[in-house]
Amino acid sequence: MIRLDAVGKVFAGRDGSRVTALEEVSLDVAPGEFVAIVGASGCGKSTLLRLVAGLVPVTTGRVSVAGKMVDEPSAETAMVFQAPTLLPWADVLRNVTFPLRLMGRAGGDTEARARALLATAGLAGFETKLPRELSGGMQQRVAICRALLQQPRVLLMDEPFGALDALTREEMSLELLRIWQETGAAVLFVTHSISEAVLLADRVVVMSPRPGRIADIVEIALPRPRGFEQEGEPAFHAAAQRIRATIYNRAVPHAA
Amino acid sequence: MLRSALPGLVTVVLFFVGWEGAVRGFGIREFILPAPSAILNAAIAIWPTLLNHTLSTLTTVMLGFGASVLVSLPLAMIIAASPVISAAIYPVLVITQSIPKVALAPILIIALGANEVPRVIVTFLVAFFPLVVAAVAGLLATPPELIELGRACRAGRFQQMIRIRLPFAVPFVFGGLKVAAALSVVGAVVAEFVGADAGLGYLIQTSMAFFRTPLAFAAVVTLAIMGMVLFVVVGLVERILFPWSSSATPVTPA
Repeated sequence: MIRLDAVGKVFAGRDGSRVTALEEVSLDVAPGEFVAIVGASGCGKSTLLRLVAGLVPVTTGRVSVAGKMVDEPSAETAMVFQAPTLLPWADVLRNVTFPLRLMGRAGGDTEARARALLATAGLAGFETKLPRELSGGMQQRVAICRALLQQPRVLLMDEPFGALDALTREEMSLELLRIWQETGAAVLFVTHSISEAVLLADRVVVMSPRPGRIADIVEIALPRPRGFEQEGEPAFHAAAQRIRATIYNRAVPHAA
Repeated sequence: MLRSALPGLVTVVLFFVGWEGAVRGFGIREFILPAPSAILNAAIAIWPTLLNHTLSTLTTVMLGFGASVLVSLPLAMIIAASPVISAAIYPVLVITQSIPKVALAPILIIALGANEVPRVIVTFLVAFFPLVVAAVAGLLATPPELIELGRACRAGRFQQMIRIRLPFAVPFVFGGLKVAAALSVVGAVVAEFVGADAGLGYLIQTSMAFFRTPLAFAAVVTLAIMGMVLFVVVGLVERILFPWSSSATPVTPA
C-alpha cells in the first residue's frame, strides 16, 4: 500500500548548508497493516510522514501509495497531526466534514457518516460544540474522526497523542485500535513512546538520527485485539528491549 | 456588564459635575468655556438643525467606512497572498498614510468639486489603512498547521485564502473595523472643515465664527457619541455574526 524505495531527503539550511534528514529509507507497508515509527528527536520521523503525505517532495528515491507515485497530497491518504489543528470557527461536525467539503467530495451521506463516526469516538452530543469548548483529548478525537471520514486507505499519524496527558493517551490508544480495525486502513504512526509503538503496531520501525535511517524493523507477534494486560508478556518486553537497545546504541556513544 | 461599566460612568459624571462647578465658581465666560448645562440648552434649542447636521456627517462616515471595508479586505488578501505584491503595494500604502489628510482635503475639493465625493474619499483615506494592516496581520497569523491541513486536503491557494485564512482573520478584521469606525468620524469632520455646507464639522466652524461656543461643543459631544455608537455596533455585529470570534480577541494592532 505504501512503498518507500531508497528515499532520501536533503533540506537546504538558511545559511546554505545542506542537512540530510533521511538517507536510503526503504519500507513496504501492506494494506491494513499498522506500522509504528520510533526514534530519537531529529531522526526524520515526521519528515518521512510528510513525504508519504505528499506535503514535501523527496530529494532521491521514490514514494508510492496504492501503486501511484506521490508528488502531491492524495485523496488516498489522510493525516492526523500532533496538535488537533481544528478550525476554531467551525463546530465539531463541520470540522469533521471540512476535508470532504474542501475537496468537493461531500455527499448526501457525509453528515450521517460523520455523526456515526463521532458517536463511535464517544463524541455523540458534541456535534455543535466549538473546538475551544472541548478538552485536549476530545479535540484530538475530532481530528482523528476528521481523518477517518475521508475513508483513507492510508492513515498517517504524527505523534497524535503527544500533546495529551498519560491517562488520556492510554485510553485513546485502545480506542484508535478498535476504530482502525473496523476501517482496514494502513497506518503509519510516528511516536516517541516505545511502549505505545509495541502496543499498537504490527511492525515497529526503529530509526537512527543524523542522517535518518532505518536501524531495525521489529515484528510484534502479540495477538489482537491488544490490551494493556499484554504489557506484562515476555514477547512485549523482548520487543521493547530490542527497540530500546537499538535506539541507545546508536544515540548514546555519539553524545558521550 | 453593569458592574464593570459603573466605575467609568462615575468618572464621566464626576468630570461633568466638576466642569459645571468650575465654570460657575470661577465665572468663566460662556464663549471661552461653556458649562455642560449651557451646552445641553444650546443643543435642545436647535435640535432639528443639529439632527440634520448629524445625519449629513453620518452619511459621509458610513460611505467612507463602507468604501474602506470594500477596498481593504480584497487588498489585504492580495497583499497576504504574495510577498512580491506585498512589497510592491505596501510602500504606496505607507505614502498615502504619510500625507496629512487635512492637507489633501482642499486639493480634492478643488479637483472633484464641493460635493460628497471628496469628503467620502478623505474619510476613506483616514479609515482604510488600519483596516488593511489588521486584516493582513490576521491573514498571515493563520497557524502553519492549519495551512498544512489545507494542503493535505489538496486546497489550492485561492481555497486556502477563502476557506482557511479569511475565517481565521475575522477577529483581527473586527479589531481593525473598530479602529476604522472611530477614524471615519475623524475623517468626515476633517473634510467638512474644509469644504461642506452641512455636517457637524461645518456646524463647529460656523458656530465658532460667531463665538457660539456652546453650539460648537454640542456638535463635538454629538461626534463623540457617534464614534462610540459605531464602535459598539461593530462589536455587536461581531458577536451576532461571529460568536466564536469575540472571545478569541487577538492583540489589537495599533
